Amino acid sequence: MTLLEALEKFVSECNQNERLRAMNRDWTRRIQLEPDDTHRTHHLVSEAGIVSAGSGPVDNPDMLIQAPEAILTAVFSGQMTPTEPYNAGDLLVKGHQDDIMRLDILSLLIWGE
Amino acid sequence: MQRSLSRVLPLRTAVSTSAGLASAAVNFLAAVEVAEYAGGQSAWLAIVIAGCLIVFAGANFAELNGLFPSAAAIRVWIRRGVNDQISMVSSFVYLLTVVFVIAADAFVLGHTFSRAVPAVPALFWIVVLLALVAWSNSRGIKVAGSVQDANAFVLLGTLTLFSAIVLWRSPHLGQYRYFQLGHHWFEAIALGIFIFVGFEWVTPLAEEFQDFRAIPKGMFMALGLIAIAFGLFSLALTVAYPHSAALRHSLIPQLLVGMRALGPVGFWWMTVVTLTTAMTTFNGGLLSASRFLYALARERILPTWFSRLNKRLVPENALLALAVISLGLAVVVYVTGQYLFLINAGAGVESLMYALSSILVISLRRREPQRVRPFHVLGYPVVPAIMSLLFLGLGVEALLTPTGRSGFPWAMAFFLLLLCATISYVRWAVPRLKARSRRGTSMTTPS
Repeated sequence: MTLLEALEKFVSECNQNERLRAMNRDWTRRIQLEPDDTHRTHHLVSEAGIVSAGSGPVDNPDMLIQAPEAILTAVFSGQMTPTEPYNAGDLLVKGHQDDIMRLDILSLLIWGE
Repeated sequence: MQRSLSRVLPLRTAVSTSAGLASAAVNFLAAVEVAEYAGGQSAWLAIVIAGCLIVFAGANFAELNGLFPSAAAIRVWIRRGVNDQISMVSSFVYLLTVVFVIAADAFVLGHTFSRAVPAVPALFWIVVLLALVAWSNSRGIKVAGSVQDANAFVLLGTLTLFSAIVLWRSPHLGQYRYFQLGHHWFEAIALGIFIFVGFEWVTPLAEEFQDFRAIPKGMFMALGLIAIAFGLFSLALTVAYPHSAALRHSLIPQLLVGMRALGPVGFWWMTVVTLTTAMTTFNGGLLSASRFLYALARERILPTWFSRLNKRLVPENALLALAVISLGLAVVVYVTGQYLFLINAGAGVESLMYALSSILVISLRRREPQRVRPFHVLGYPVVPAIMSLLFLGLGVEALLTPTGRSGFPWAMAFFLLLLCATISYVRWAVPRLKARSRRGTSMTTPS
């Protein structure tokens, strides 16, 4: 699975879940994913409860996430909780802590504990 | 990552967060204990020396923070610099320092209010105010950053101003010895560490600052402000009340200084400042510690019960557990009156953590030499090596300092008990929790 495929899976799970759509209704954020090994930038955008994904950078991001591409793929495909690589120092984030927590909560609500 | 973000925190917030987290209400009582060991008016010197030593610890945290700018902070640094098990044990013990400070502040707050409003028992204030903060946290109500900023500067400004007034009005300033620390100078400095406990808890905010220099600058400026404010406070206190035996039994030294400076207005102003300081400590402590417990539960180090969220997306169980433990400890301390135990344990654990920070700097320079370091400690490896030994000595001294007439070092006994319990948990319970929740994926993260 590529990172883009993982992101599309993540987006699909978010958008199909009514609870998540309601939760994200007021959460408008632009998230840039930066694999530190392949340097192939991707992005996620949350707007009015709908999440979208794509390749390439995004203008004026609210959050930057940096990790090896395999870890980003594992996180966004539900094979790994974000907390595991985060607490190991393999996944670094720049942004507001509430947004970082929100992203973790999204993965918790999609894939469970 | 150097791209600009839409929202970032300013340097002012780094200073106020660092100073605010260190400026707990129990620091007033810690200043009295330092004065007792320093032999009176030279307490300020012990506090300033402790502050100067902590600058070196601050440099360690600045290098580690630049290396791994993460809210998981010590969890990451120790994991990368030593190993996962030591990281887990240290994280749990460190977390307990937050509980110590919350419980100690509850004790101070209770006594302050029972003096200001004698008709209401102190225990009532402790229970009600802690419960109020826990409840507001569980409802997702957050104190605005600007309020926290203002509170830190008001506290330090008040201490500086009131202390200056007390000193200015003192007629016999020339008769005291201000530079003689006496036989117990090492204990005085070791306990002086407590005044600065928590200054480095600004490092978990690294992700919210665009400029990596803001956190080191903020920590160093905060250390200077704390040293000035609490150094002056201890000086004013010991000049106004030259006999340390009289102060030893006072649980409201800040109200005494307030009263001496501006009479009833100063008394009530200090009461309000104590309230806002303690409430800020409760709020910041419960908020950050509950998120830390949540993260540990998500990592399968704690039972998943701790990661349960309420409908406002607050880790309610983690919050509840912390509030109950803090309240229980505060009540035990109130009933027994053994608050010195919390100060000694807090100073000891923190000094040991500073010693560990020096070891981590050395270890990570060897393990990950190629990784980008925006900040470098001075005098590597000699200075970090000396500091690790010095803080180890100070930590052991603080833990061994007696807390009662029996002379028994309860802080050390409690620390060792806690360490054994945590090691046992990490050794036996964590592998079972992880095994139970493994999903059968081959993807793992390095230990």
